[in-house]
Amino acid sequence: MTLIDINMKKSILIVIVCGFLTVAYGQVEKGNVLIKNGTVLTITKGNLENTDVLIKEGKITQIAKGIAALAGIKVIDATGLYVMPGIIDAHSHIGLDAINEGTNAITPEVWTGDAINPFQMSIYRALAGGCTVSHALHGSANAIGGQSQTIKHRYGMFDPDAMKMEGAPRTIKFALGENPTNGGRSDDLQPQSRMGVEFVIRQAFSEAKQYMERWDVYNKNKSVKGFRGAPPAYSLRYETLADLLRGKIILHCHSYRADEINMVLKVCKDFGIKRLVFQHANEAFKVAPELAAAGASASVFSDWWQYKLEVYYSTAYNAAILVRNGVVTSINSDSPDLIRHLYHEAGKTQKYGGLSDDEALSLITINPAKQLGIENRVGSLEIGKDGDVAIFKNHPLSIYGVPQYSIVDGIVRFDREKDPGDMRLMPDPKETIDVTFYETGHNHENCMQGVEQLFGVNHNENKN
Amino acid sequence: MNMRYRWTALIMVLLLPTWLFCQDDKELAPVSRTYAITNVNIIQAPGRKIEMGTVVIKDGLITAVGKGVSIPPEAIVIKADSMYVYAGFIDGLTRAGVIKPKEETKEKLKDPGNPPPDRAGITPQMDVRNFLNPSDKALEELRSLGFTTAQVVPHGNLLPGSAAIVLTGAPSGDAMVLISKSALYSELTGANNIYPATILGVMAKWRDLYRQAVQAKSYEGMYAANRTGLERPTSERTLEAFYPVIDQKIPVLFRTEKMLDANRALTLKNDLSFSLMLAELKDGWPMINKIKASGAKVFLSLDLPEEIKTTEKKDASTAIKKADSAKLAPANPVSKTKTPADLEKEALDKRKAEAIANYAGQASSFQKAGILFGFSTMSAKSKDIPANLRRMIRAGLTEDALLAALTTTPAQLLGLSDRMGTVDNGKMANLVITDKSYFNEKAKVRYVFVDGVMYKMEIKEAKKSDGTTKVEIEGSWSTTTQSPQGNSEGKLTFKKDGSGYTGTFSGGRIPAPVDLKDISLDGATLTFNYSLNFGANPVKVEVELTVDGDTLKGITTVGTFGSFPMEGTKDPKY
Repeated sequence: MTLIDINMKKSILIVIVCGFLTVAYGQVEKGNVLIKNGTVLTITKGNLENTDVLIKEGKITQIAKGIAALAGIKVIDATGLYVMPGIIDAHSHIGLDAINEGTNAITPEVWTGDAINPFQMSIYRALAGGCTVSHALHGSANAIGGQSQTIKHRYGMFDPDAMKMEGAPRTIKFALGENPTNGGRSDDLQPQSRMGVEFVIRQAFSEAKQYMERWDVYNKNKSVKGFRGAPPAYSLRYETLADLLRGKIILHCHSYRADEINMVLKVCKDFGIKRLVFQHANEAFKVAPELAAAGASASVFSDWWQYKLEVYYSTAYNAAILVRNGVVTSINSDSPDLIRHLYHEAGKTQKYGGLSDDEALSLITINPAKQLGIENRVGSLEIGKDGDVAIFKNHPLSIYGVPQYSIVDGIVRFDREKDPGDMRLMPDPKETIDVTFYETGHNHENCMQGVEQLFGVNHNENKN
Repeated sequence: MNMRYRWTALIMVLLLPTWLFCQDDKELAPVSRTYAITNVNIIQAPGRKIEMGTVVIKDGLITAVGKGVSIPPEAIVIKADSMYVYAGFIDGLTRAGVIKPKEETKEKLKDPGNPPPDRAGITPQMDVRNFLNPSDKALEELRSLGFTTAQVVPHGNLLPGSAAIVLTGAPSGDAMVLISKSALYSELTGANNIYPATILGVMAKWRDLYRQAVQAKSYEGMYAANRTGLERPTSERTLEAFYPVIDQKIPVLFRTEKMLDANRALTLKNDLSFSLMLAELKDGWPMINKIKASGAKVFLSLDLPEEIKTTEKKDASTAIKKADSAKLAPANPVSKTKTPADLEKEALDKRKAEAIANYAGQASSFQKAGILFGFSTMSAKSKDIPANLRRMIRAGLTEDALLAALTTTPAQLLGLSDRMGTVDNGKMANLVITDKSYFNEKAKVRYVFVDGVMYKMEIKEAKKSDGTTKVEIEGSWSTTTQSPQGNSEGKLTFKKDGSGYTGTFSGGRIPAPVDLKDISLDGATLTFNYSLNFGANPVKVEVELTVDGDTLKGITTVGTFGSFPMEGTKDPKY
């Protein structure tokens, strides 16, 4: 490989080996790379054979045939390979030290951006699956969960702030059904039923509205000469909900059943919330026209259900039905395992529903980008967009598709040819080294992480 | 007359033992508060040395430093021939000398999402001065190492209260205090299943409280200036505790052992703009530039991960080269006897050794980056501290920088430079005197002066060389260990095994005898360790005892839970 590539790898190695940091800290690293002669799957503008993609200073500056390599620029020969936009996961919990602040029914004031852990190996593993952006969502333990953070998988950076996708819109997690009501019932508090969940959300919105109005009145009065009065009491909780009501935050709502999806559509209509994404939404196919009419979107699993009662009624055709009804749909992982092969998950919609290649790939690229409000930055290969690229041997929707490179902001963060066995950034100096240890298969990085004990639930039943 | 005299004499004799006992309890005041430490190597400050000079201290202050200094007639002379005197060390964060309030069993909350502040760990109005105990064993340990000043904080998690800067020796809690409310103390840890329980809730609660405090403070100001048309502001102690922070009069002191927590503290500083002090940092090297740019004051931890024994390390480093080549060519004859598991283990050992080296090199990295830093001891075991300081020197920290981090820099960071940190005229008489350079492996602290009060260290000479008293530990011993939960009785047994010993320990809450590991008898010094299982986590207990005939006495250190005094007597042979 070229010099720059070697230098980049070297600098990662230096960081790993010596713990000596050469990279600029806290700033987003941007790189230059020329990807030569690949089959370019732009997603939004068709497929281009034997085409080059040039990334300069982290942005795509040219997509054309026969782009001349500038001196010193890293070149990847993609002859016979498929070049697609980096995969985006609209529902994940990787790279977080905490997922649920499940101690209260509403916690909109919390933010997963405060809990980012850039050392988690799951970030590198996601890169190895071509996934360059994920939505680090708060869990589903409470009806109104926390604000979430869209992260770029810049594995190798030591600064948690460097993982945050700069400029990505704010998002928030809500949850319906069994997960938030489990908590309520175990503490004998609201919510204990689906009706209770609606009540909790409506009550919170009403209080936020009053909070907002109190401040509006105060701010208006304040400018009047001679006004005397106390400001309303500050609350980060209601500040956040007020921002949601003002349309500054995208609502991502954990949901399964059609009735509760309808409920949230009504609540959002009543309170004027327009940017709405249903997560999981296993029964969304039943209300696809309603979702389309409301402009709400859905982020679903390909073929994963029956892990609890409310997820029994489901179908692998869910995504295809939603797409055919004009709903912006994505396929997500909610898992550090599935995130490594979202391209397989997307491919399943061709078997179940016969989606076209572009439609299937949209489910893991431009559509999740729209749901996160970052479609102007990522999700397709277009000039001016971020240099986030996944390069595959064989077509990504083929069962033989294997990611070769993952590029974030023009920097190769994963290269299958140079994939050392130990990619840890901060090894534990007190670890007990035991090579006979094997994973037990328990999955702790899920929506109910940290609250199993709280709710006394068996976490095997709560995969999401 | 005669009878009467006899009676008086008898009464005197009867009373005598009691009188002596009283004297034992109450230490005699020294005959003079003037001392002259003569013929001593004076390390006045890093890079500033006077050979064979004299330091005179009087009434708690240093009054003369140098050669040919005249010694006041009333001075108690300490002939410190060829010893070394340094300014007393300053500890940026510890709980030595701070009483831990007894944990009461608290009733289950009806609504864990809205707990009373104290249940959520939010008691910033508390003052560590209410919990000071000058006779705390940990404080004595710290002082014996040469620390004369420390910033102490109350027990607790999120916002336990305000810190104080104290002397490590004083007759009373109040007398310890040099500066009260030196900082508002915080740890970024949540309450157990109570809001805020996770780092998510902790960060949000921090912002919420701080902004509420800003609002309350501003409203109070408005009301004080003109009450017309305003409701009377109510007093809220949790918010009022933030006022000096908002006024930038005191910093927020965070215990951030991990760089991710230090990052979070920086995030709060940036969001809320208070002045920030980070303490007990252990893995801060990747964020040096960020810390530098933030202007935060830093205290690095004196706790280091345990070193891998040198022989093992050598093995690992030579083996790794083989492992690298073996990976490419499995048929390499060098690796013939090694299984893939061996190679994997070696590679992991190598990464671990590098990680350990990074921790030891943290201070040196900070020095090279030009960041001022002091040290804190909160999670360090006292007995490891001198060795850890030497490890930092081996990892590239200069002795001058190390001394600065123990004396002048923390004085500067804590605003104490006018009164301590160097051995100069007019400074507080906080001194540490060692028989060799402090950083010499064989150095022993001989005297420590705190505020002009002398503490003479007992030197435990190893009895190894004289050979007159033979130490025999074989047999069974009854032990008593003091802990905050009360005394616990135990049984130690030792059996000769070749040139060494095997042994067991039982008693207390240990159901079956546990085997002792690494039993070593060096002169009269007996050390060993064993593992306890508290739940799923093994806790290493390290014991160091001095054997004197049929008694033993020393310290048992239970993981990070603390060190407790242990005593024992030999059971009669059966």
